[in-house]
Amino acid sequence: MLVTWKYRLRDTFIQRLDPRTRFIYMLCIIFALTLPDIWDFRIILPLFLISLTLYLLARIEWKDVKRVWIFIGIFVFFIVGLNAVLSGRGGPSSVTNIVSPVLFMLPIKIPFTEIGWDVPITISKLWFAMNQIARMLTMAILAIPIPYTMNPNIYGTAFKRMGVSDKVSFTMDLAFRFLPTFARDFKITIDAQRARGYELDKLKGGLAARIRRLAPLVIPVVMQSTVTGEEVIDAMDLRAFGTAPRTWLKNLQYAPRDYAMIAFGVIIFTTCCVLKWGFGIGGFFVPEFFTKLLIG
Amino acid sequence: MNDKSTWEFGTRQVVYGAIGAALYGVLSLATNYFPLPAAGNVTFRPAVAVLIFFGAAYGPWVGLLAGFIGNTLGDAAMGWGFYWNWSLGNGLMGLVAGLVMPMIKDFKARSDILKAIGYGVAGIAVGMLFASVTEKFIGGLDWSTALVGYFTPAFIGNTLVVVILLPILMIAFAGVAARRGR
Repeated sequence: MLVTWKYRLRDTFIQRLDPRTRFIYMLCIIFALTLPDIWDFRIILPLFLISLTLYLLARIEWKDVKRVWIFIGIFVFFIVGLNAVLSGRGGPSSVTNIVSPVLFMLPIKIPFTEIGWDVPITISKLWFAMNQIARMLTMAILAIPIPYTMNPNIYGTAFKRMGVSDKVSFTMDLAFRFLPTFARDFKITIDAQRARGYELDKLKGGLAARIRRLAPLVIPVVMQSTVTGEEVIDAMDLRAFGTAPRTWLKNLQYAPRDYAMIAFGVIIFTTCCVLKWGFGIGGFFVPEFFTKLLIG
Repeated sequence: MNDKSTWEFGTRQVVYGAIGAALYGVLSLATNYFPLPAAGNVTFRPAVAVLIFFGAAYGPWVGLLAGFIGNTLGDAAMGWGFYWNWSLGNGLMGLVAGLVMPMIKDFKARSDILKAIGYGVAGIAVGMLFASVTEKFIGGLDWSTALVGYFTPAFIGNTLVVVILLPILMIAFAGVAARRGR
């Protein structure tokens, strides 16, 4: 097993943005939807389309993200969506409190028992499920491109320039550099244990026994790393690490497009707050066209 | 408990925070390559034992950094994205586990191992509860999905891993530390 970063230079608008801009914009959208508790499709849908546009602008190949999308698809559509359709819970109480026409009754029975009940599937629950899926995707599709479009070597610098302390940023920078080394050590350990007859693919016994049998793979790598750590500490202490503010090799500078993007994020956040708290717009409701569409 | 050495943040904490994070990231990735069989939706992440160990051995700051950065690294290397609340939840898990550091005198002693497991389990509860509850607000999940669907499987799986692997890590570390003399 070798760690290969998903990052590749693609020369896109998204990659030309400063990493800080992307983090700040993502937080603006997350807070815009969650703090004022927005459930109005008239707000969610445009935000979803903006997020989708930004995702497409990243130009990530489908083969790279196929697995991630399958996972997200299963999670969002089957777990969250189904839960929303069946229970209508998770959002505002108005989903289950408002009077809404029942589309059909879904009989649910506990297997091997006679216990069961009929769950009413209402228009309100169905609309809520669609809103919830769109709302979750609006936030998720801003996070997905990050590993593919942000250079791993820049994370430490980005966090430093966002106000995080030198030491924490350096920890992040150092961790990214250690990762391939430990991945290599882990691979060597696996090979060495296999050479001694350790059958990785045939872990036998109960659950506890199987977890315990991972110890021959985990312990050597962890213990070796603690020894390595002492050597690194000595080297850093000899160079007087932590006695004065650090300088950073990579420099980040905001371009006009970054200011525009951050301003856009802040405007979205402010608008959502003002609409909800100032005008009472942004709560959950079922639009008339949806009801008409389903029951005429 | 909160004496100077517990909350000290110097070169040692920076380095072991980075090492813990990198190991947490690598071993989380490895779990995906060699998945353990699980019951229902309970998943097992052996790397959690390493995170709790780093907290117990080097303190709360190391636990916090190893958890937060390690989870971010693992997600980045897998291509999942950046989910700040899960990263912070993992960080809290390490931080709470790290509070046991000043109480540990001998990594081989049964009582100290039990203390580390106790704090580790408390850390798992705090960290996973934080991540699950924030997911409720961010994702709009209901309480039952957040607690039954997220928190409970994560808590059970991680606790089992910590109870089994943490004592082995601590005993092995006692030997290494004795040989190293610091």
